[in-house]
This record gives sequence, C-alpha cells and structure tokens, in this order.
Amino acid sequence: MVKDQIANRGVQDEATLKAMRTVPRHLFVPESQRSRAYDDGPLPIGYGQTISQPYIVGYMTAAIDPGPGSKVLEIGAGSGYQAAVLAEIVDKVYTIEIVEELAKQAKGRLRELGYDNVQVKQGDGYYGWKEHAPFDAIVVTAAAEFVPPPLIEQLKPGGIMIIPVGSPFMVQTLMLVEKKGGQTKTKSLFPVRFVPFTRE
Amino acid sequence: MPPLRYSISISLLAAAVIAFELGLMQVFSITQWYHFAYMAISVAMLGFGAAGTFLALFEKQLTARFEQVFPLLLFLCSMAMPVVGVLAQHSSVRFDTYLLFNDIRQAGRLLATYLLFFIPFFLAALAIGLSFVRFSREIGRLYFADLLGSGLGGLFGIGLMWWVFPGELPGLTALLPLIGGVVALRRPWDKRWWMIALATGITAAAIIFRPPRLQPSQYKSLSKALLLPEAAVELERSSPYGLIQVVSSPALRYAPALSLNYTGKVPVRKVLFNNGEWAGAIVPKPEPGSPHILDFTAGALAFRLQSPKKVLALQSGTGERAAQALAHGVPSITMVEENPVATALLREELAGETDSLVFHPAITVRELEGRTFLMADTGMYSLIFLPMASTFGGTAGLNAMQEQYLMTKEAFRDMWARLEPGGMISISTWMDYPLRNPLKILATLVEALAAEGADAPRRHLIGIRSWGAATFILKKSPVSGREVDATRAFCREMGFDPFLLPGLTEEERQRYNQLQDTLFFSRVDSILSPAREIFYQNYDFNVRPATDERPYFSQFLRWESLPALARQWGSRNLPFMEIGYLIVWLTFFQILAIALALIILPLFRIGFRSRARGWSLFYFGSLGLGFMFVEILLIQQFTLFLGKPIFATAATLSGLLIASGAGSWYSSRWGAASRKLWMAPLLIAVLLAVYAGIALPVLYHAIGLAPAAKLALFLLLIAPLGFLMGMPFPLGIRYLSEKAREEIPWAWGVNGYFSVISTALATIIAAELGFSWAIALAGAAYTLAGIASILKMSRQGQP
Repeated sequence: MVKDQIANRGVQDEATLKAMRTVPRHLFVPESQRSRAYDDGPLPIGYGQTISQPYIVGYMTAAIDPGPGSKVLEIGAGSGYQAAVLAEIVDKVYTIEIVEELAKQAKGRLRELGYDNVQVKQGDGYYGWKEHAPFDAIVVTAAAEFVPPPLIEQLKPGGIMIIPVGSPFMVQTLMLVEKKGGQTKTKSLFPVRFVPFTRE
Repeated sequence: MPPLRYSISISLLAAAVIAFELGLMQVFSITQWYHFAYMAISVAMLGFGAAGTFLALFEKQLTARFEQVFPLLLFLCSMAMPVVGVLAQHSSVRFDTYLLFNDIRQAGRLLATYLLFFIPFFLAALAIGLSFVRFSREIGRLYFADLLGSGLGGLFGIGLMWWVFPGELPGLTALLPLIGGVVALRRPWDKRWWMIALATGITAAAIIFRPPRLQPSQYKSLSKALLLPEAAVELERSSPYGLIQVVSSPALRYAPALSLNYTGKVPVRKVLFNNGEWAGAIVPKPEPGSPHILDFTAGALAFRLQSPKKVLALQSGTGERAAQALAHGVPSITMVEENPVATALLREELAGETDSLVFHPAITVRELEGRTFLMADTGMYSLIFLPMASTFGGTAGLNAMQEQYLMTKEAFRDMWARLEPGGMISISTWMDYPLRNPLKILATLVEALAAEGADAPRRHLIGIRSWGAATFILKKSPVSGREVDATRAFCREMGFDPFLLPGLTEEERQRYNQLQDTLFFSRVDSILSPAREIFYQNYDFNVRPATDERPYFSQFLRWESLPALARQWGSRNLPFMEIGYLIVWLTFFQILAIALALIILPLFRIGFRSRARGWSLFYFGSLGLGFMFVEILLIQQFTLFLGKPIFATAATLSGLLIASGAGSWYSSRWGAASRKLWMAPLLIAVLLAVYAGIALPVLYHAIGLAPAAKLALFLLLIAPLGFLMGMPFPLGIRYLSEKAREEIPWAWGVNGYFSVISTALATIIAAELGFSWAIALAGAAYTLAGIASILKMSRQGQP
C-alpha cells in the first residue's frame, strides 16, 4: 500500500511513510470492510463517515511536516486512523470527534493499540481545544464551508493547518493555511472527493 | 359501446397513475436527487410499453375474460401502489446515488427499486390497454376518459402535496383504482370480489395511517446536519415545491467562505433544507450599526463600493442578503423568491427567529420566479444580488439539467435594463475545480455587456476571490478610480485577492490565496479578449454562456473532451464532475435498449410481417415522441411565462391532457378510415410551427400582464393544440380496429415506448441544440405520422 499508493504518487516524507507502514489500518475499519482495508480508496465506517483513502492520509500528514516534539490537533477523529499515524511521529495528538459513537469507538481502539499520546474527546471541532493550544499544526479531516476562527487563533505563529474545504461528499479542495508574520495566507493544493481526484 | 362504468374506472385509474408518478418524483427528489425524477417518468412509461408487449402476447386470453381481468388489475394496482412504496424504503432495497459508483451491489438495488415501481404502472397500463383493445371501435370515448383522468390526476396529485407528506401519497392515490375496481364490477358481486376489495382497502388504509419513513441518502446535506449533536428537525412543511425542514443544532453554523481575518464568533443558526438539500440559514435581523457576518465575505464588496438605495435580491431564499442590506441601512429592498413555503415560514413560524425581517417597512417580498419578475418589473435598482451560483465545491453537475432562466445571457440583459445609472449586479460562486462556474459566469457577463454595446467589458467588471469563493461585480457605468481603491482596500482588510480590476498587476492576483491552477487567470483574460470564441471552443468544459434557448447554466460537459478528461483525472472520477447530464444520457440509452428489445420481442410470436406493421411503427411511434416532446417543452416555456413552476406544470399537464381528451371525444364521430388520420397530425405540425414562430415569442412580451389575463392567454394557446393532439391516437386505433385489429396491442406498446424515449431525448435535444430544435423535431414527428398515413391510405385507395 505505502509504496504503490503513497510513495509512488509523490509523498516522500520518510516519517510519514514509516508511520503508514506501522499503523494496522485493518483494525480501524469495520469487520465487514477488513478485506478492503488496504485498497486504494476510502471506506465507510458508519454514521455517514469514511476512513480516508491511504494516499490522502499520507498526503495530509506529510503536508504539515510533522516531527518529534510537535503538538498536533486533529478535527474529525472518525475511526482514529489519522490520529494513530500522527501519533507515530509527533509527541502529542489531540483529536476531536463530533459523532459521539465514533468518538467512543476511536478512543477505545487507540487505547487498545497503545497510543497513549493521543487524547480523544467528543465535541464540536469549531472550538478547537483551547486548554492544549497553541498547536504546531492542525489537521482537519472533515470538510468545512468556513475555517473556524478559534482554530486559526489556536495555531502557533508559523503553524500550519490543512483542511479540506467544500461541502461533505462533493468536490473539496485540500487547502493549506499558514499563519506567518501576523497574516493568514492560504494555498489550494488539489481537489479531493469521496473518490479522490488524483492525476494519473 | 363500452358501459359507462369502464370509462369512470379508466378515469380514476389514469388519475391515480399521474398522481402516483408525481408523488414518486417527489420521493426520489427527497431520498436521492432531483434527476431521479426522470426515473419516475421513465419507469411509468416503460410500464405502459411493457403492458403493450404483454397484451400483444396474451391478448386473446385477456380479452376473453375481460370482465374479471379488468377489475382485478385495478385492485392489484391499488394494492401495489402503497406496498412498493414501503418495500422501496427497506434497507435491503434502498440504494444510494453516490455509492452506485463504488459498490456494484447498489446497481442491483437500483434495479430492484426500478422493478418495484414498475409493477403498479404495468398493472394500470395493462388495464387501460386491455380496455382499448376490447373496445377499439369506441376508443375515442375511452381515450377521453383516460386523458381526462390523467389531466385531473395531475391537479389531484399536486393538490395533495399541499396537504400530506410524500410518504402518505401512495396510500391516498391507491384509493382511486380501488374505487375504479369497485365501479367496474358487474352486479351482483361475487363474495370473492368483496374479499379482494376489502383487502385492497385495508392495505391502502394501513399505509395512509402508518406511512413509510423516507430515508434520504446519507450524503445529503440534511443527513449530515442531523448527525450533529442534539440536531433536530424543528419544523416540516410539505408542498409541491418540496419537503421543507428546519433543522437546529448547537453545532450548526453559517459563514460561507468567511474571511480568515474574521476573529468574532460564528453564530449558531437554524438551517432550512428543501428535499434534504441546504436552502438557506435563518439569519436574524442584525442590531443597527453592528456588522453582518456576510460583510466578511467576498460578496460584501458591493456595499464597500457604494451605499445602494434600492436593492433587489433575486432567489432570496431565507433572506440572508436582505438582512445584510438592512444592516447597511438600505431604505428599499425587494426580495424575490419563487418558493411560497419559504416566504410563508419567514412570515409565520420563523418570524421570531428572523426578528420579523420580512415585515420591516424597507422590505417588499414578491413570490415569483426571479426571471419572470425581471421581465415583468418596471422598477430601477442600484444593486441586484443573485444567489450563489454553485453549491459548495462544484455542483458535480447535479443541477446540469435544470433550466435556470436567471442565469442566461438574456437574463443579465434584463438585469442591466433594471439598473440605475451607476448601478451594479453582484454574483458570487464557489471556486470549483476543474474550473467551470466562475468562468461561465464571467463569460455570461461579458457576452451580456457585448450585447448591450459596452465597448470595453473590462472597464465594467470587478472580480475578487477569497480562499474559496469568487465575486463578480458588473457595473452599468465604468468602474471609477475611487472604486478601484475601495476594492483594493477591502481585499487587504479581508485577505482576499482581486483578479479582475482596472490597473491590476499580476502580483496582486495571488497575494493572499494561492491557487493550485494558475491558468485561472489566463482563462479569465481569454474570456475578456475579442478572441474568446476560440477559448470556448478549446476549453475542456462548456463555459459558453447559457441562453434562453438552452438555459442549462450548470451543464458543463463536452463530449469531445471526455477522452482527454478521462486521461487527466481517471475515468472513474468523471461522473463526480458531471453526474447529472451523464445520468440523463445513461437513462436514455438504457430506455432505448429496453424499448427496442420489447418492441421486437412480441414480433417473434405475432410475426414480423402484417398488413399494417410498418405504418403502426411510424404512426404510433411518432405520436409517442411528438406528444411527450410537446408536453415537456410547453411545461418549460410556461414555467417562465407563469413564473410559478409548480403551477405551470400542473396547469400545462392538466390543460393539455383535458383538451386532448376533448379532442379524442370529438374524433369519435369520424369513421375508421377518415382523412383526418393524416390531416390531424399534419395540422398539429403546422400549429407547432406557428407556436414556435409566433405564439411562444409573443409570450415573452406578455409576461407583465395581470395574472387573470395571463391565464386566459395560456388557455387560449394550450386548448387548440391539446384538442388537436387528442385526435391522432384514437383515430389510429380505430383505423387498426378495421384494418388489422390484431395489431392494436403492439401499436399501443410502440406508442408507450416512444413516449419513454422522448422524455430523456427532449431534454438532451434542448441541451445540445436548443428549444427551437426540440419543437421542430416534435413537428417533424407529427409530420412523419401524417405522411405515413397518407402513404398507407393511398396504397389502399383511400387518400
């Protein structure tokens, strides 16, 4: 999966590739989907949510340039897979999931797998996690029609946020938000979708 | 002469079929997306075609026991209507549009849904067709009963939608064939009939009192909103305009493409959904002097350039723009919204939530289609606001086949005419990728400007871009130096980038928000250049402006670009760019294949050669094509004229069908081999030419008339055409009853199948070639029917 679907498509960050090789993706998908866990696509995890395509997880992880010592906030824990990948690289991951049942499941799953450096809470990602702010990076995995002001506020100066913008399950654009020198600038990366657009 | 009871039964059954079909369209719009409404029409017509095939194969057995079979079919149809509605909502059958492209099992579910809904239509059509075959010599009266019932069924179905929720509709429509079945029974009744009628009645009653819960696709905006904590549907209102639901949740917020420099709170809002799709946020009237959250979006530019005195908000929805204009102290605001339920909610249940926005003395509300309002209105405005031109992140073509008369070149010319000197039009769109909506809007503005004789379009246009949306301002007078400065200042303050502004430097275009595809800028420049035609021809998507002739703003697909797009994006991603138009084409090919197969199939049993096989094919095929073409096209044209889409649909459908019924009745006086067999279709073709050349263009000039005068004009136009259109079918059946009686079931099937084909084909032709071509083809179909009859009769020595 890592070589064919991620590295060959241009994700070269060694830490990200190593993390993606380590995290057992099949344990983050429902039993019925396990045979397809390493397929090149997203999979439904219930409640209208999906676990993202491996390439997207790899791309978003590499885009924030994670490293030891970093503190990352994730909005939209879903199955907990993205948090687990981040936890392999950074010191501390805080992840928020709005759907109560998914938050419970992700918490249990990450605990069972020994990811002690991940904290999961159920709540509205709009507010971020003020108690643990500021963050070196913020990864938003749920599509948004606006960037919540509290998230920008909780980003360290020089910090990076990656966020898919667009309505859920329509065409979204992955966007990088950088807070630098008192200004907030954006860079559109590429369009993603339920089935991601990847140039072939 | 058929007993009167059969005519009554047929009327009731036909009414039920149309009402059920309309209800089904509504159900598909709620559970899936509106383009599956085509599926409702095609499944209905396919039922009619298949009934013809079945009749062709088993005519003798069925007609021999007509008195038992006919009422039995009505009872079965009555039972099937509510039962299939329940079964289609079962989790093992329910399909999801978006999963269709990922999960092959969904295709099976789609097929199962199709087959389920096929059953009641097939049973109804079999009953109607059987009566036509049994009483073929008196077809005029039966066909009258059929068309009269269909016409009234349209009114009945649309009327019911105001009173009951869509899930309850099948149970209520089922009562009509139940009554029809009872009426058709010969007295005295057998005990078994009592039992059957009772069982049917109990089934309908059960569904009326315990209707199935309609489950929208999990990917609809409503489903996503309901996943939020403490989300609840606070209010529901059903109408032919859709199922409106107001949802609240402490996590539901509204701030589309908000500036990243906004540091305040994004307030929690209730949201209005129509058929499960976002229809607007409920925005309270802001405190005087306090900024409106929309002031931190690119769409607020107009208020930075001027202090408008008269604002027109087209398709104003829940009044977001009106509220923003009020916050800026605009003394006169006109809200134009076609959905009367949305405005009724603002006046009644949601009045408190919006601080009685619509009762503010500065606000006037008009319930009309935006374009119709523009054509009828004589007021002048300093600022015209259009709604967001695309759903977030690109439409994926979901609205591709929906006529949008407010987004045509002519519409922008109408708006231009309503602008005061120095007035502005403001329109925003999400930045989609691949780029389509912003380019098409710009092209439309530029072409409208060119048509108005503006010598340098660039001098009248401003374009700015936030991280997610673009806003265009079209100004009646050239953009001034002060306005250029104001635009730059606004962009600096908000972190936006101008991309179209007099004196703009290249560096300014991406200062805050870098694009992944910087070709956007060169494409903008291409559209502004005199050689823009070359760009339209070479761009991968259709961004040529929509016109009244082809009002499909969101139809971006170009067939010649498909191979290149497939190479660039991957073929499995294509449907997600332009799903709407692809579905229409897929439906068309699928229908065509099934129809041809089922037209040919019975010929293996009844024989390929007969006395009237070729004539039947051309005559009844042409009538099927022509009738449905005219029906669909008239609905489209009268929607603009009458300005209320549902009213136009109901009035056209019922007016045309009832007038046709009268024509059918009138035609009963003529003999089986009357010259009217060829004269009637040719006369229709002539009348269609007159309509296309004179009557329909005249309609545009009569839009400003009083409603009563418009209705009178509408009836004046529709009655003679409908009257004539009701004649050819019964004349043809009567001709066959004399010359080749065994041919009737097959001919009835052919008529049904070509009607199915025409539903998708009419839309494709309107999109590819324009309405004029579609009307011309309808005329050609009737001409073909006339010529086929002349040839047939001359061969038999009866010209």
